[in-house]
Amino acid sequence: MMLQTRDLAVGYGKKTVVDHINLDVLKGQMICLLGPNGSGKSTILKSLCGFLAPLRGTVYLTKKNLSHIKTSALAKKMAVVLTERFSPGLMTGFGVVSLGRHPHTGFLGKLTDKDVNKTLDALRLVNAEDLADKLFAEMSDGQKQKIMLARALAQEPELIVLDEPTTHLDIRHQVEVMGILNKMTKEKGITVILSLHEIDLAMRSCEIAVLIKDNRILAYGPPEEVIDDSTIAELFELNTAHYSNLLGSVEFCSNSTNHGICVIGGGGTATHIYRLLSKQGFGVSTGVIHENDIDYHVASATGALISREKPFEKISSEAYSQTKKYVEKAGFVIDSGFPVGSLNKQNFALLLHALKQGKTLFTLRKQKEWCSQLYEYRQKINTEKIVFCENSRDLVAKVAHELHNSKGRREPW
Amino acid sequence: MELEKIRSARVRGIMLLFICLLGIALIINISWGSIKIDVQEIIAVLKGQSENVVHNSVIWKIRLPRTLAALLGGAALAVAGLLLQVFFRNPIVEPFVLGISSGATLMVGLVILAGFSFGMESISPYLIIVSALAGAILVMCIVLLLSLKVRSIVTLLVIGLMVGYSCSAVTSILTALADRDRVHGFVIWSMGSFSNYTWDQVAIVAAVIIPFLAATFLICKPLNAFLMGEEYAKSMGVNIKLFRFVVVALASVLAAIVTAFTGPVSFIGMAIPHICRILFQTADNRILIPGTILGGAVITSLCDLAARMLISPIELPISAITSIFGAPIIVFMLLKRRTDMQ
Repeated sequence: MMLQTRDLAVGYGKKTVVDHINLDVLKGQMICLLGPNGSGKSTILKSLCGFLAPLRGTVYLTKKNLSHIKTSALAKKMAVVLTERFSPGLMTGFGVVSLGRHPHTGFLGKLTDKDVNKTLDALRLVNAEDLADKLFAEMSDGQKQKIMLARALAQEPELIVLDEPTTHLDIRHQVEVMGILNKMTKEKGITVILSLHEIDLAMRSCEIAVLIKDNRILAYGPPEEVIDDSTIAELFELNTAHYSNLLGSVEFCSNSTNHGICVIGGGGTATHIYRLLSKQGFGVSTGVIHENDIDYHVASATGALISREKPFEKISSEAYSQTKKYVEKAGFVIDSGFPVGSLNKQNFALLLHALKQGKTLFTLRKQKEWCSQLYEYRQKINTEKIVFCENSRDLVAKVAHELHNSKGRREPW
Repeated sequence: MELEKIRSARVRGIMLLFICLLGIALIINISWGSIKIDVQEIIAVLKGQSENVVHNSVIWKIRLPRTLAALLGGAALAVAGLLLQVFFRNPIVEPFVLGISSGATLMVGLVILAGFSFGMESISPYLIIVSALAGAILVMCIVLLLSLKVRSIVTLLVIGLMVGYSCSAVTSILTALADRDRVHGFVIWSMGSFSNYTWDQVAIVAAVIIPFLAATFLICKPLNAFLMGEEYAKSMGVNIKLFRFVVVALASVLAAIVTAFTGPVSFIGMAIPHICRILFQTADNRILIPGTILGGAVITSLCDLAARMLISPIELPISAITSIFGAPIIVFMLLKRRTDMQ
């Protein structure tokens, strides 16, 4: 057992920020605090580091009461990486990392050969040997963060506490930082406690997630168990976006209640169309989408009206007729160019239905494919209403043009 | 690592240069003046082999104590400035930011301007020294007590500034109400001067400054940890409360003792740490502490020389010289530097 808290209450002065915190952190575990800004993640971390005295309850570090451990002894057990930015004028990467040797050096802080080697090891572990001679002030945010990780490592701690280590970093450095932390837990058995904003990073890298909201721990456990669409929505009070656990990301939903564009999709061909349209603020209806299709998850996350079918089933007549209604109500129809197979043949029939209804049909399908499909159906179809689009950019331009032509009515459908 | 090696070579070079300059400054400070004394004669006087009565008394009674006082005072102010700049993580901090000189000035103002002679017949130099010391120590105690109470270092800085402003306010009231003759004497004192040092005074100043300078070497390790801020320093095992107290106490005593005997000398405390950082190209206090001691001693003694030589026999205030020559140098160096420093 690395770290335990028992009925811990943290806060400043008389103001309790988070109450009833009971954590059990094992050696080599990676624990992540998730929560909105101002929920008290930093306050908890500061209390775990001993920067803030607990208002109530106790923090135990390797079974010893944290407040009874001397600062100098604590420094050999625990290292921190804070959000606070600092500019140590004229220090190189090596200089900053070697500061981490502070608890291990002698009275005047002279670096021995061992200290120099440990510093270089730490730089190597974070893939930052090339930054040793670079001035810290001249580094990018990502490089600085790697140096800060190396500094914490050079302290040779058993536990590292990090406050939002991925904030301000680009995606590559976010992944790199999380990878380094993972490596530290696996190879060196270091325990890592951190706070994060990125739900997907937390999902993919942490063993235990702690969700914090409204002065309490909302949930505590493996992220696979505690994180789902509804807890995330509750945690961050998402109104205009929808978190999809399966996608591991947030989709912005259109709040339009007018589902004036009907998208016929499937097989993942319509995901970018849903996103494009919801980004523009259009309400979308769509069908017939199988529930095991990625299109289904994106469509529901973006708030589309969906006519759905059970996985691996042929499209039923109920689903078909529901989508037919969507098509009839819609101002125009978009064909995502989905592959036509034995289970979703009906979707192509829906496109033909749209044309029969005199709807404009924007299609991402090649002309050649249309010909062969129409040949198969042996139907006489008025193809004048088909608008062929090269790619999604073309699609957007043509849809915008269509909307512009029907000006005078704010909502053409 | 390569860069570190180049640096340490550079550091050794500059240290050596500073030591040579220190020797040169010592010699020309004794040699130059209204009477010029050459080096051989100086050596003879110091060995006690010179028959020249004037030379003997000029060197022993005037120039040597004054030079030593300037060397010691400069070193003390520069180190005090460095300590507080690191402590507050603020480059424009100087030793007097915590109100030390304002406190001393206020007490001296009470003596010279308001005529509180505390029962003595006339205003003796010792009365002024004692009152300046009392003022400086009073303010220092207030700030030290508060340094243990307040949570944020910035709060401490603001408190120091406020104490300073309050003292200055009372001083300016005293100035407005005082006789013209007294104001002149007070203004001259408040501009600072290394003249009139007696051997007794040099001995007192040295007895305080030398051990305190030595003590600053002992805190260079936590001072380095402090480069990253208070929380990081704590996480690396620095006892923050003790460290706060020690830093504020060291810097305050160094500044207070110089102020008491010399009056407020501006600029040295702020500028020398900057000059050293730029010259040595480092933030490592293990290098900067000896660097600022040497740099502060050399530059202050040269400024003192300029103060008494430029339009002799009239002596200029030392603070004027330090600022007039120092400010452009700092600006030039800052414009030339490669990166932002703290």
